[in-house]
Parts: sequence; structure tokens; C-alpha cells
Amino acid sequence: MKRKFDHSAPSDQEQLTGPKYWRSLEELAGTPGFKAQLVREFPEGASELEGVDRRNFMKIMAASFALGGVGLAGCRRPEKFILPYGKSVEGVIPGLPSYYATAMPLRKTAIPLLAETHQGRPTKLEGNPTYQPHGGAASLHAQASILDLYDPDRAKAHTKGDQALDAAAVNELLATINRNYAANGGSGLAFLADESSSPTRARLVRALRERFPRAIWTEYEPIADEPPVAAAQAAFGAAVRPVYNFARAKRVVSIDADFLHQEAGSLTYARGFSSGRRVTKKSDPMNRLYVAESALTLTGMMADHRLRLASSHMLAFAAQLTAALVPQTAQNLAPYGQGLQLPAKWIDECVADLQAHRGECVLVAGAHLPAEVHALVHGLNAALGNVGTTVNYVAAETTPARSNLNGLVSAIKGGSIRTLVILGGNPAYNAPADLDWPALQKSVGEVIRHGYYVDETSAVNPAATTHIAAAHYLESWGDARTIDGTIVPIQPMILPLFGGLTQNEVLARIAGDQKADGYALVAETIVGLAGQGANPEKTMQKFLHDGVLEGSALRPVAVRFNQSGLERLFRPAQALPTFGKDNLEVRFVADFKMDDGRFANNGWLQECPDPVTKISWDNAILVSPKLGQELGIDPKGSLIQVARKETAEYTMGKEKAFVFELTVGDRKIRGPLHIQPGLANYTIIVPLGYGRTVAGHVGKGAGFDAYPLRTSDALHIATGGKLTNTGTRALLANTQEHWSMEGRDIIREANYEGANSYQETPNFVDTFGMESHAPSNIGAVGEAMTPQERATKVPRGNSLYSTPTFDGQHQWGMSIDMNTCIGCQACVIACQAENNVPIVGKEQVARGREMHWLRIDRYYSDGNIDAEAFGGEGNKALPDDPQVSLQPMTCVHCELAPCETVCPVNATVHDEEGLNVMAYNRCIGTRYCANNCPYKVRRFNFFDWNQRRLDELYLGQLGEFGMPELVALGKNPEVTVRMRGVMEKCTYCVQRIQNGKIQHKVKMAQQGTPGDVMVPDGTIKTACQQTCPVDAIVFGNILDKDSAVMQAKAREQDYEVLGYLNVRPRTTYSGKLRNPNPKMPDYKPLPASRIEYSKKNEPQSHGDDHGHGSPTAHGAEKKGGH
Amino acid sequence: MSKLFPKSANKLPLQIIIYLGVLAGIATAGVTYYMTPKYARVGYAPVQPVPFSHAQHVQEVGLDCRYCHSNVDKSGHSNVPSAQTCMNCHSTIKPSSPALAPVRESFEKGTPVPWVWIHQTPDFAYFNHAIHVNRGISCVECHGQVNDMDTVTHKQPLSMAFCIECHRDPQSRLRDPKDVFNLNSKRLVDQGEAGKQAAEKFHKDWKLMPPQSCSGCHR
Repeated sequence: MKRKFDHSAPSDQEQLTGPKYWRSLEELAGTPGFKAQLVREFPEGASELEGVDRRNFMKIMAASFALGGVGLAGCRRPEKFILPYGKSVEGVIPGLPSYYATAMPLRKTAIPLLAETHQGRPTKLEGNPTYQPHGGAASLHAQASILDLYDPDRAKAHTKGDQALDAAAVNELLATINRNYAANGGSGLAFLADESSSPTRARLVRALRERFPRAIWTEYEPIADEPPVAAAQAAFGAAVRPVYNFARAKRVVSIDADFLHQEAGSLTYARGFSSGRRVTKKSDPMNRLYVAESALTLTGMMADHRLRLASSHMLAFAAQLTAALVPQTAQNLAPYGQGLQLPAKWIDECVADLQAHRGECVLVAGAHLPAEVHALVHGLNAALGNVGTTVNYVAAETTPARSNLNGLVSAIKGGSIRTLVILGGNPAYNAPADLDWPALQKSVGEVIRHGYYVDETSAVNPAATTHIAAAHYLESWGDARTIDGTIVPIQPMILPLFGGLTQNEVLARIAGDQKADGYALVAETIVGLAGQGANPEKTMQKFLHDGVLEGSALRPVAVRFNQSGLERLFRPAQALPTFGKDNLEVRFVADFKMDDGRFANNGWLQECPDPVTKISWDNAILVSPKLGQELGIDPKGSLIQVARKETAEYTMGKEKAFVFELTVGDRKIRGPLHIQPGLANYTIIVPLGYGRTVAGHVGKGAGFDAYPLRTSDALHIATGGKLTNTGTRALLANTQEHWSMEGRDIIREANYEGANSYQETPNFVDTFGMESHAPSNIGAVGEAMTPQERATKVPRGNSLYSTPTFDGQHQWGMSIDMNTCIGCQACVIACQAENNVPIVGKEQVARGREMHWLRIDRYYSDGNIDAEAFGGEGNKALPDDPQVSLQPMTCVHCELAPCETVCPVNATVHDEEGLNVMAYNRCIGTRYCANNCPYKVRRFNFFDWNQRRLDELYLGQLGEFGMPELVALGKNPEVTVRMRGVMEKCTYCVQRIQNGKIQHKVKMAQQGTPGDVMVPDGTIKTACQQTCPVDAIVFGNILDKDSAVMQAKAREQDYEVLGYLNVRPRTTYSGKLRNPNPKMPDYKPLPASRIEYSKKNEPQSHGDDHGHGSPTAHGAEKKGGH
Repeated sequence: MSKLFPKSANKLPLQIIIYLGVLAGIATAGVTYYMTPKYARVGYAPVQPVPFSHAQHVQEVGLDCRYCHSNVDKSGHSNVPSAQTCMNCHSTIKPSSPALAPVRESFEKGTPVPWVWIHQTPDFAYFNHAIHVNRGISCVECHGQVNDMDTVTHKQPLSMAFCIECHRDPQSRLRDPKDVFNLNSKRLVDQGEAGKQAAEKFHKDWKLMPPQSCSGCHR
């Protein structure tokens, strides 16, 4: 179901008459007749007596009399209409979704997607499984991007000042630019665009440059996510960029690189990395990750060995690493590595490990680091024989003759720019502060802005700025390249809702092609690439059907490391800066969710908690615990990580953070402080992307803006920062206040090898936890059964309550592998999109009323615990350098569910197939179930989140009621939109289960094998499972021995969280493994959380880091029954 | 005081209780009867924008259900035909009939004909046509003898009880899969002993297990 729709172009009249949501749907075309129909309370004839047949009328009247004046007419359901198409649309079956291939572009990469559409209305995005490196996964930004399409705050018309322009006026404007600058070759014309990997845009820019050779073409992105080409140029003498193959890497060293999230291509990399990390049986190898970083990132959270190091010291670190690995460079590099004190043997042992894995290890450096570091990393990868195995180099494509922002700035200052075309981006918000971009932009006579929102840049000088509304990528024709260079199509699902134009169309029109049509522009590029003799139509058809252009991935370039190039790149060594309380290193990082600020008006992303800090709706200045102490902000005694003193202030039960002023040079910003373990002591992390002043309802006013601190010479790392307490407080909505497992057995971990390891005790999960000390809940009889029998037949724990019978044809279950989970939050957003989960706003999140069905718990442990139970203080001091454990947590569908026994109205019950279901229309909102849920996964609709504005919740009936039509379009029609006063929770995506079963049965009945009712394994995927980049979630039928989920559950490291409660969860978890190097100085013979467990539960072994003397003692005998 | 309250007043509390009880009983009975779909929905036959007669099209013309409701065996939603489907014939048959004016207009302009929705299930109930018609449940089970109707009328209550009754005992409602769209056919159980056996075999061989818990219909 992928093909080109031929939509007729909207008339100009139509474009001017306000919102047009349904334009591609004939059934809802905004014709006067239909509108009149909607306005009339009753359809024609309905209110006239002659239209009603007499018998019915009498009936109604009789009933009215019988009920003493209660008119039954009021009880009638309102009349609704069935509105069929006028002309049938090929391939559209009302009620069944269609899927089209498209892609979400982001800077120089793209994520290939499949969009689910319901009669032309996209509702959900999934990764395109045809694109192998992603295997059908999508990132959280891709999942959330569909919400932007239905954002009521997006630019809804082309405007100049307060005046709306119609399509013709915009075309005329662009044609005028073309005419005006044709004579002088574009002198006085400048373009400022965001980065793009689109081959079509590259082609159009080339055409533009031919026509206007003297025009300035500038590209600017505030965030760096690709290694600087200059480094490769120096190292290899070629403009190349690395593409990593983490799947083949047994040892990974990351130098301040968050390749699991922030770096370009992170989805590919996360997938590759997890495939090297997954351990299903003892003989599976497991990779090892060394990380040196200043922030705590997703990558750092996965690290086996983590070194906290200021980003400014990374060059010294890389120099020491290189010197140890390639001794002949030691002399040259000595000055660069001098002064950095690392733990003894850290470098040596790391290097020895890498040496032992030549050709199957990889080193990565963060894109924000200076080119020197990258050049060294290129050299190291070459020296270790990794080039061609774990890292390939492909040609780095750059737009020819592009200038950087400074070039444009000096041209504007020189007064030579008369027309400035700004395509995308948001320079007035995110350009380096020293440029004073708004003033520059004001000084240009004519500004054309093509953007999705009317934002800071459009608002600089509205009178002189023409804002051209951009089309969402789901409304656009386009193309893009993924990280490996594969060309993917961007295909529209719906006509532009507000008549937006694509960047390609704007460029083509300025270049002189007035009739430019998005599809034709892309087709020209793609057919051109396919070469002579290719059938244009078939080429495009296949391209759009597959969603990738076959064989378009860039071929690896043979590179040769050239040491002499490096000598030119390296500047003379400078003394290593030392940081302290009064000389802080300040890192500007892209916010995990807001990126550079472009997603600021996306409610799903705003509400999604940051995976590390767990703060939603805000950013915060992150400081290390040590720095916090020195600043007089004492985290001791705090369970909450928000910085505070003991004289805490509470609002809504939440602590308030101190607001600090951060000074770098003479620039200042203010923001709340948050103490974040795992940071380098004197590095503070300032996430960009918040504090938008001109954004929609959602983004405006959230967080603080850190861009004013950023100057051209210190875009990513600044030094000389100083923090001063302003004494004021700010509320942060933190969704996980408690960071410690308190030595409990929620997440069970083991080392991959060594004493008491997974290799020694593959069933390590059974050796601790309450279950290992108690007789089996299901008794010897239950233990002897197969898992299939246990799921349906086991005596239900001699419970007094009647228990459900599981006699369905399938029994659903899930297994989550915590060993591969990287905590990327894609599942959280996928669940939100699939299940119509509302957002509640910062204030309500602070009250703990967030609605996410799926959350990812993040725990810290460092092995130091003074268990309260044994007279200690409890785990209160924040660790400096913790190990992190992540656990996706959602309804685990207990077979003996505690929530069901307390529901007074049977609103939550079990179905035949093992789902713990919620009947919303039965629920009366007592919330007993949520109280009785040991996993805390039930969510209550305290307000009518969907129908009320989030800033008017407390107005109740006085507030505005109703969902904006635009928002309603984005809802999944297969899932009920819940109302106020009902409980909700994970359903295992019951709509997908039911539709999957129905479609399978229909197919079988039609092909003559109706008895085959079992859905094949893998057909039904939950939303979280489908999008998971690391395949950590497996779902399926547990009655099928060979299903993927049973394979996962059969692993020895699979366990039930809180299993001792005998609730028998259907979702089980695979224990987490760590793979530390025993020779490293920071080696822990047991994972830190396990050390804490031992200390808490066996106080006599205090101080003995080995914990359990004989970890097998409990588990081994358990299976035999007590 | 005895003047104020005669002796008979002693019975008053009892009388009031009985009176209220009777009143509550009547109210309950009234609500149960008059306000449930069995009364409130059954018999609903709104005036449609085009006086379309199923009887005429099925009995005189001999159309199969699936000529117009073409996706009923594929999709959960049984589609109401587009104007184009009507115009397949009506471009030559009665091409200028005033009754068909809305259809012609819809075909030309693309605006929908606003058919009044009769068999309307609540938003929180997800009924699926395809699974029913593909597994032996005929249209008539829920829609009545549509083939005999000049004006489509709501025949069954389509309440939850109505659904559940059948889901508890699907065997007695089965038709031979070949007869699902033959609206004059009889249920298998009404076709004598052989039919009863066929229904039992059908139930067993096709592994019919209609869901009886919430998740079957409510999501």
C-alpha cells in the first residue's frame, strides 16, 4: 500500500478560508451544503412532524406520559451520520489503516518510517523495517513528530506582519526575488538554511548557485552531531566521515560521545551496540564499554567502566590513550597529555584490552570535541585495524561553496545584503549570543522566513518579514539520506493542512521554476540517480513502495592514515586548565527531548521525563554532588535530587530547587540547580532548547534559555563559569524522586564473567530476592509443570478469592531484557501515541498525576549503603559516580492481580487470554486498584485532560470544553479516549491483539483453513516493542513453546519483579549483566546494586564486597521445592 | 395530641414505605423497559436523504450485500457505498429521478450523502463486521431481514446483553458460511437434526470462541 496519491490542487479561495483539515477527504470536504448540515441541529425533515412516522411518535409520547413528564427524546442518542465518499478512493478500505513509507529528516540524517493512516489521516509512525540498519525501530523524536502535524500553534497561513498572504501572493513574491536578482547574479541575496541531507535540496542549491553565483548560501545548526570533517581531512587527506559498525565491536571506547542518543545515526548505533550486548546463553559474547565523559548520558549509563572527566581534558585523555597504544607517538603527544591525572593503570589496562581485540574494537569521540581529538581517534581506529571492520569511512557530503554563519554576519554588517531568505532553523533564538542576530536580521531590508512555527526569528521584525508556512514532513514530498547514505523518500500522507510549502518548493521557485511541484522535484532527482535507461515511473514506484532507494548507501572509501596531516592540525600544547568552584567548565548540550529547541511545542516530548534527571517540562543546570556541597547546597539527607538545604520549601509536596545565576565572562543566565551524580566534579551541564519566548502554548515559558551564554568561540564547551545563589526557588516536576533501590532486589544484576558471575551462575536471579529464601509460591506441583501448564492450570495459590480461568486460545506474555535497554524513552512516546495517552502539564506532573502507561525507572547504586534496617542512616548521600540501572515498568498483567480483588465494581478483571483489562465505562474512580498495585502503574484521570485546556483545569465547568478539531485528528481511532474519573493503564495494546487475531482468522477463513486460529508468532507487536531500537521488549503467546517470548522467558536470567508477592506477573524481566574488566582499577567484583543488596540483607558481610559467600546456596535448592 | 394524629396515622410510616417501594418499583420497571435499547432503539427508522429500498435492490434486482457493502468481509467497518457505486447503475437507470438528486450531487461534487446512522454502537464498543460474517454469523442476526425492508429499521436492541447472549452460545446462531449473505437462509440449528450436528461440528472445527470478557469489545 504505497503509491503516489494524485490530489488536485486546492483552489486559492479554499486556501484563504481558514483551517482545512480534511481537504484530501472528499467525505468531509468543506462544501457549503455539508456545513449547513452540521449547523442545523436536526437534519432536514427530522424536526417536522410529517417526517416522523406516527407510530414512533405515539410511542415516544406514551413513554413520556408514563414517566411523568420525563421526555425520552432527551435520552435518545444524538443523531449521527455516515458520510461515505462521493467517489471511491482506490486502495482505501474504511476501517482499515493503510501504511505508507516516509522518513523523518533531522539535520544530516533521517529515520525511515512507515506511517499508519486512517482514511488519509496519519495517526502513528513506526520505523520502516525495509531499512535493515533500523529493523523497524524509531526514535522518540520520530515517534513524537506526528504530534507536531496536529499542533494548533503551528503557522496556519503565510503572513506578512498581521496580514495573511494567499498562495498566489507568495508565488509572486518568490518570482519577484528571482527577477530582481537575475541581472546581478544574486549580489545582495543571502540564504540561511538548516542542514539537510536531501539530495533534491542539494540539487536545487546547485541550480540556485548557477543562477545566482554571487548569492551567499549559509548553513547553520546550533548542535553538532557529526565529527568535524576537518579532522578526517587532516588524518586521511580526504573529506570523509566515519560510519560505525558497533555490532562487530567487542570493545568500545567512547570519548565524551553519546552515540546511543545524541550523535547522528544513534538509532543505527544503538541497535548495533545492543546486538553485541545481548546475552541469551552462556556462550554468547558480550561487548565491553569504556566511557570517559563529563556529563551522564545514555551511553554513560550503559558503561562498564566510566571515567568522569571534564570535556576540556578529553584531548589530554585521547593523547595519553594514543601514546600508550602507539608508543612511537608518545614523545610528540606527551605535551598534550601532560597534567591529566588518571586513576593508575586505567589507560594501560584499557589499552591492553583494546590491543587484545584488534579489528573488533572501536573508539568514538563526541561531535562537540575539538578536531584534534577526532584526528587522534581516527588514528587509533586505524592503528587498531578497525577501519573496514568496525568503522568505515564514507564521503562526507557538504553543500558546495557554503559559507559559515560568520561569513553571512560580516556580509550583513557590511550592508551588502538586501534580501535574506531564512529556511527553517531559528537563528534569532539559537545563534551565538555574541553575534546579536536579532539586530542583524533587523538591519536587512527584506527577510523571507520559511518556518513551521511563527517563532523568535519570524517575530524579530514582523513588518519586514514574510513568513511562509512550512509543510510538515508528513505533508511533504522530499527525500533524505540516512547515516549510511541510503536515500529514503519523504512522502505526504495528507495535503498540507494549512497550505504550507516545502523547502524544496521555495528554493525551486526562487531559482525560477514557478510551477515547481514537490513530487516532480524529487522524481527528477531520484530518476536522475537511477541513471540512463531506468523506467522513471517504475523507479519512483519502487522507491516509494520500499521506502529506500536500493543500493544508494554510500560505499566505504579506502582511507590511509597520514600522520603528517595531524601535525598541521595540532596547535601547540597548552597547559591543561584546572577547574574549581570559581572556574567551572560549562557544557552546552542539546536537551534530550527538546534537541536544540525545535521540539519545544511538542507536549509529548515536554512531558516525557529526561531519562537521566527524570525532570519533565524543564531543564536545569546540572552540577555534581561535590560541587553542590561546595556551593552550600547540601544533598545529604535528600531523597530528591533537586538541590536543597535542609530548610526545604515544599509546594504540592515537591521540593523546590534553588535558582542560581551562571556567569561566563560578562554573560549571565539564571536557572534552577539540580544535583546530578556522575558528572565530572567541576563540569556543569546546561541543556539547550528551553526557555522559548515565542513558541506555542506548550513550549512558551518552559525552562530557561541557555543560548545567551553561548558565544561563537565556545559553542559547546565554555570555561570560567561561576555559579551564585540567587536565593529564589523554582519548582521542578520530577517524576522519580527516589534514586536508590535501598538494597532491594528489584533489578537483579550480575557480572558477565568472574566470581559469582553469570558464567558461574546463569540463574543468578534466583540466588537473591525474597523468593530465594522462601518456599516456592506455586509449590512442588507447580514447579514441576511446564510454563504453559503453569500459565493456565496452576492452583491459583490457594487464594480465597475466585481466580480467573485462562482458557483462551492464546495466553499473552512479555519479557523485557534489561541488559540491552538503554533508556531512550522511545517506548514511552510510542505508547503515548498508540494509546491516546494525554499530557497533563507541569503542575499536574509535580503532583504525580502524569499519565504515561510506561515509564523507565532509573536507579543509582555505588555499593555504599548503611541500611536503615541495621541501624545505619539509609542510603541518603548522593553517590559521585554511581552505576545506573534502568527498568521499563508498565502493567505486568499479574495472573493473580491485586487490583482486581479490590475493585468494587468489577471494572478491572481478567480476560481469557491473561490480560488484566480495564473497562473504562464501568470504572467509577475509587482508585482502590491504584492503591493496591505493587508496581504503581495505574494512572487516574483526575481531570478531563482531553477536553479541557491544561491551564484551565481548575476552572471545572467554567472552563472551555472540547478538543480542538486539529488535535482530535491525531487520535488513534482504535482506542477509547478516556474521560475524567476513570482509571487506565497498559493494556498490552489490546487493540493490536484483537485486530491481529481478527485479521488472522478472517484470512484463514477466506483461504479455507478456518480452524487455524493461532496467530503466528511475531504478527502482533505492542507499540513499545515495535519501536524499541534495541529489541529489549518481546511479546507473544506463552502457550507456544517456540515463540520468541517463551525463548526469552526460558532464559535462566529471566525473573519476576516482586515475584514473592505471588501475583504471577505475565511480564518478566531478564537480569542485567555488566562486563567489567577485572584488571581495571575501578573493577567491582559484583555490580554495585548487588553489593548493596548483600550489605543490607547480610550485615555480617559488611565490608566484604563479594557479598554472598555462596550465591548458589539459595537458588539451587529452591527449584527442588522446600 | 390525639386530636392531631388519628389512630390510623400509626400506619402512615408503613404506608409511606410501601408507597415509595411501589413507586420505586414502577420507576425501575419503567426505566428498564422504556429507557433500554430494546425499547429506545428498536423500531428506529429515520428518514434518509435518499429513500433507498433494500427490498427492491435485493429482491427485484438481486444484488448481493457485498455489491454495495463491499468491504464488510475485510474491514471492521461495513462501508456504506460511495455515490460512485450507486452511479454504476443509476447513470443509466432512472438517471434523472429527483429522489436520486443527492446521490448525483455527491458523485459530481464529492460531497458525502449524509445517511443517518441507525445501527450505532457506543464509541467504547468496537464491533467488527469482518470477523462475524467470515465465521458464520449472518447480517440478519443483528440487522434483521434487511432484504425485506423498504425503510431500514432498527430490529434488534444491540445492547450488551444482546451481544453477550450470542457470544455465550454462538452455535445456535450459526449459518453455513455459504449462506451468510443469503438473508433468507435458516440458522443451522433450525435445519433439523443434520443441521444441529453441522452446527456442532462447525463450532468445534472452526474453534469458535467468541470473547466473553471486556477486552473483546472494549479497548
